[in-house]
Amino acid sequence: MKKTKFSAFLSTAIVCYIFWLLITGQIASIFTGGASMQVLLAGAVVSVITALFSARFFIHSKAFWLFNPLRFIIWVFYCLIIFMWELTKANIDVALRAFGFKKINPGIVKIETELKSEYAQSMLANSITLTPGTITMDIAEGNGKTYYYIHWIDASTDHIDEAGDNIKGTMEKWIRRIWE
Amino acid sequence: MIYAIYVLIGLSVLFALAGVVGMLRFPDSFCRMQSSTNISTFGVLGVILGGVLWSIFVFDTPDWAMAVKLLVMGVFYIITSPIAGHAIAKAAYKKGVRPEKEMVCDKYGEDLENAD
Amino acid sequence: MDVLVFFAICFVVLALCLCYRLIKGPSVVDRAITADSIDILADMALILFALHSGRSIYLDIAMVTAVLGFIGSVMVSRYLEGRL
Repeated sequence: MKKTKFSAFLSTAIVCYIFWLLITGQIASIFTGGASMQVLLAGAVVSVITALFSARFFIHSKAFWLFNPLRFIIWVFYCLIIFMWELTKANIDVALRAFGFKKINPGIVKIETELKSEYAQSMLANSITLTPGTITMDIAEGNGKTYYYIHWIDASTDHIDEAGDNIKGTMEKWIRRIWE
Repeated sequence: MIYAIYVLIGLSVLFALAGVVGMLRFPDSFCRMQSSTNISTFGVLGVILGGVLWSIFVFDTPDWAMAVKLLVMGVFYIITSPIAGHAIAKAAYKKGVRPEKEMVCDKYGEDLENAD
Repeated sequence: MDVLVFFAICFVVLALCLCYRLIKGPSVVDRAITADSIDILADMALILFALHSGRSIYLDIAMVTAVLGFIGSVMVSRYLEGRL
């Protein structure tokens, strides 16, 4: 069992406490006044206990990586603009296919990514899965590169680079800017 | 403002309808999975956005706690739905679910056979 | 009739249509995906009803349902892979 570092523990506890504040609605009543002291203390105790158990699953490399404000701003921009645009295009496309205006030709293709960090790889995989029309099925590593196997509802090509360009779009560039 | 919210929620119903029709029409399991992604992205986001706007602008006193809770729910849906989709897709392929008609290409099956 | 309630009824009707796939679906995987989608559609109806009535207790119920649906589908997939 890997030993838990203190920095990993601390950042996990902070994230848990922010989540507690959001989910109990206390963050609204802090600004308007009248936050209950009991709820704040209970959240602190619970998030410390949770962080003790789960820090070694949550943090694998540098602990305070995302607390950099510039990186966080790029992240929010990616989620709100770039990713939303891809999501809208893919949603309309799959909706047209569902109503029968377009044909489907499904297939499983293999694409390659150049991202190195684990978080970046899993974020790209989740972005690909979240756009309708593509689902990441597995991640494999071979001779120094990382490959995704992707089920694609419109497999127009099975070449490794053309399919990669079609599926990833501009997302990979922005994810590299966030994590590397 | 109220009519803008109605348009948002109506769009969400439209995309959910597209997802449901796709899940009933598509021929094999993986394509149905794609269509269910349609439900869990835009079918959710329209309602969440409309709910946030509604709880801030339409109520007599703005209900900030409800708005924040709705936003957290939206983020939760966005985070968890790809994880579940990925897990089920991999398990389905390993379990031996295959499409009825031929796929265009199947790199995953070829590589799995080569590895064995 | 209130428009929000009308939209909530639309979601519930869509969820009822999915029950056809839940009963007929050829394999376990179809049933798991369909159950997840039904869960999400019912959550949307709950959110709309919370907005209609102005009480946030329905939001808590919707959140618990969302968590349970996610855990359920992950458990089903792990069981299918034989790693439970």
